[in-house]
Amino acid sequence: MNKLFAVIRRELVERVRTKSFVISTMLVPVFMVIMTVAPALMMSGSNRSMRVAIVDGSEGGVGARIEQAMITQRLSDDDSTAMPRYVVTRVAATGRTEAVRDSLVKRTGLGKEGKAEGALDGVLVVNEDVLSNGQLEYLGSNVGSFEAMGRLEGTVRQVVTGARFETSGIDPSVVARAMSPVSVNATKVSDGKETGQSGGASFIIAYVMGFILYLGIIMYGQQTMTSVVEEKTSRIMEVLASSLTPFQMLLGKVLGVGMTGLLQMGIWGATVFLVTSQRERLASLVGVSADAIQQMPIPSMSPDLLVIFLVYFALGFLLYGALFAAIGSMCNTVQETQQYASAVMMLVIFGFFGVFAMINDPTGGIGVTMSFIPFFAPFVMPVRWSLAAVPPAELAMSIGLMIAAVLGITWIAGRIYRTGILMYGKKPTWAEVWRWVRVG
Amino acid sequence: MTQPAVRLDRVTKRFAGHTAVNNLSMEVPAGGIFGLLGPNGAGKSTSIRMIMDIIEPDEGKVVLFGEKGTGRDLSERVGYLPEERGLYKKMKVLDHLVFLAETKGIKRGDAKKRADAWLERLGIHDWAQKKVEDLSKGMQQKVQFAGALLHDPDLVILDEPFSGLDPVNSQVMKDVVIEIAKSGRTVLFSTHIMEQAERMCDRIVIIARGEKVVDGSVDQVKRDFGGSHVALGFTHDKEKAARVLNDRRLVGKVDDYGASADVEMATGANPEELLTMLVREGVGLKRFEVVEPSLQSIFIAKVGNAAVAPRNDSDMHNGASS
Repeated sequence: MNKLFAVIRRELVERVRTKSFVISTMLVPVFMVIMTVAPALMMSGSNRSMRVAIVDGSEGGVGARIEQAMITQRLSDDDSTAMPRYVVTRVAATGRTEAVRDSLVKRTGLGKEGKAEGALDGVLVVNEDVLSNGQLEYLGSNVGSFEAMGRLEGTVRQVVTGARFETSGIDPSVVARAMSPVSVNATKVSDGKETGQSGGASFIIAYVMGFILYLGIIMYGQQTMTSVVEEKTSRIMEVLASSLTPFQMLLGKVLGVGMTGLLQMGIWGATVFLVTSQRERLASLVGVSADAIQQMPIPSMSPDLLVIFLVYFALGFLLYGALFAAIGSMCNTVQETQQYASAVMMLVIFGFFGVFAMINDPTGGIGVTMSFIPFFAPFVMPVRWSLAAVPPAELAMSIGLMIAAVLGITWIAGRIYRTGILMYGKKPTWAEVWRWVRVG
Repeated sequence: MTQPAVRLDRVTKRFAGHTAVNNLSMEVPAGGIFGLLGPNGAGKSTSIRMIMDIIEPDEGKVVLFGEKGTGRDLSERVGYLPEERGLYKKMKVLDHLVFLAETKGIKRGDAKKRADAWLERLGIHDWAQKKVEDLSKGMQQKVQFAGALLHDPDLVILDEPFSGLDPVNSQVMKDVVIEIAKSGRTVLFSTHIMEQAERMCDRIVIIARGEKVVDGSVDQVKRDFGGSHVALGFTHDKEKAARVLNDRRLVGKVDDYGASADVEMATGANPEELLTMLVREGVGLKRFEVVEPSLQSIFIAKVGNAAVAPRNDSDMHNGASS
């Protein structure tokens, strides 16, 4: 036991000391801070009023009502003292909309770089038959912004729809009531309790988790494999084999690398927590309004989900780590490992696809089945847990199967390992590997 | 009656296509220096690996210290220097030694003290905080050597310990080996350099093609080999010795080194007669000594060059050789 502990400690300490570990551990938090602040910085760029000219060719005052609807909007929905969202100029142009539009575009230099103060951001053309065909035209420099176009279209649609009702003789007050917004707020229920999580947040968590599990297992799995190959190349293996059992070596290696991974993820996780909880302060440091940064949706992870995530990461890593270590023991160079590793990678990638199946349909047959198959469960189960309620018996069964598989695979990997580590020369065939497992 | 440190009982190990060790029995008595000799590819390393329980024999058994348990179970009492040296290149020297000691069941604090002491003793303490890869080959060997001995093992197994060492380092290691033997512990080392074995070993076993050829104390082996040998050193007129040395009634075999020669007398011939003849011919002699047969000559006589099996690097660690 002490020997195993020595192997784990050596693996962990030597790994943490490497430059690549220090750099990658530092870079990710830096990247995360940038990712939190940068969108806010960019969003704050759009925090100014949009200058729009309405070329009004309509009859019955639709253009005027659009103008009215636009100028009452503020940049912040809940703050009536905020800057107006639009600065609107309405040009009456009944019957000559095209001419007015063209001259406006030309005169104000729309779309040119370095335009003068007060220049237009866009021209909205309201034709006379707008009520019948529902077509408006917008020319502007910001048409690529989904957010700006979405808002504008929403406003215009509301006005035009209202006007259509009124021309059909419906009471404007009835129209106003009928047009008041409707929305569905989805909240995830897990185990009979509301989690307070919105559907969108669950989706983001599920996706991010699947991705971290996928990357984590590939990254640290490959590290395990490479490090076994290095031990063979440096011929330290024989010294180790004289005092440690192959099982101690294998387990020490997998646990050592796995703990390095958990440590690194822990540091990253702590950074995410700090960055999200301190993001207002962070925002003020770089001079962005706290308001802007609040717009970034940052989902929180419930404690039970965190536990499930860690349990499955640990089990999944043990399973795949042992496989990768066994492959490392069969080969003499990192290049040689690729052929065997690709078989394992297929399993990982298939499991990762399971995450998408799960996100699409959290209670569907494919996802649920995959959450019981040990090779896929580490990816699929945490996602399933985050998206849908999982009966405790099914969770217990999934974890039970995982543990059984970890023990089985570690045993097989141990057999391969003990023959493989002292094999130099040509790579073994699958048949030979099978013989190592049987005869050991 | 003390148990032998190592006992091999009719041990056989086959690899795909050939038998590396065939029905080998030998005993390494506790205490002293034991030489396992043989040409390249004779099965030395395979035998040693079976003693260490790194590979298992197909037939026969290996007993250490007369106890139950394999070489790995008893690894806390055994120190091992493999033929292929290997260390973690990125580790600091001191950390590395501490780790090696820990794998032998030594507590961390104690391990550090021992590592310090060994680095001091081998004269590389200034390098304790350097990475292994920054050390010269010779220094790395010393580190590995220290790693095998840190836990004061009762039995030290060294596979080709002197290969690749310069004379100074070789001397240091030799002194350490002698000291271990003096303290009553056992050293088993393999080599194909006979002079070294001859000077250091109490007992030897020579194996060739996986089979035992010679077994016994060095003195006994020489006595059993018999024959009388004469060492000659020439000063001038060496060519005049040719006729005498070619006399088959007198001389059995000559090993000519130019300025000197080892002569094996023909059966029943008298060395004094050889001296008389040489002096009569007018050969200038600075040395004429009746000597025991060297291990080298015994080795060559017993094993013959034919026993040197071809050896290629790729299957070196397949265990397919030595």
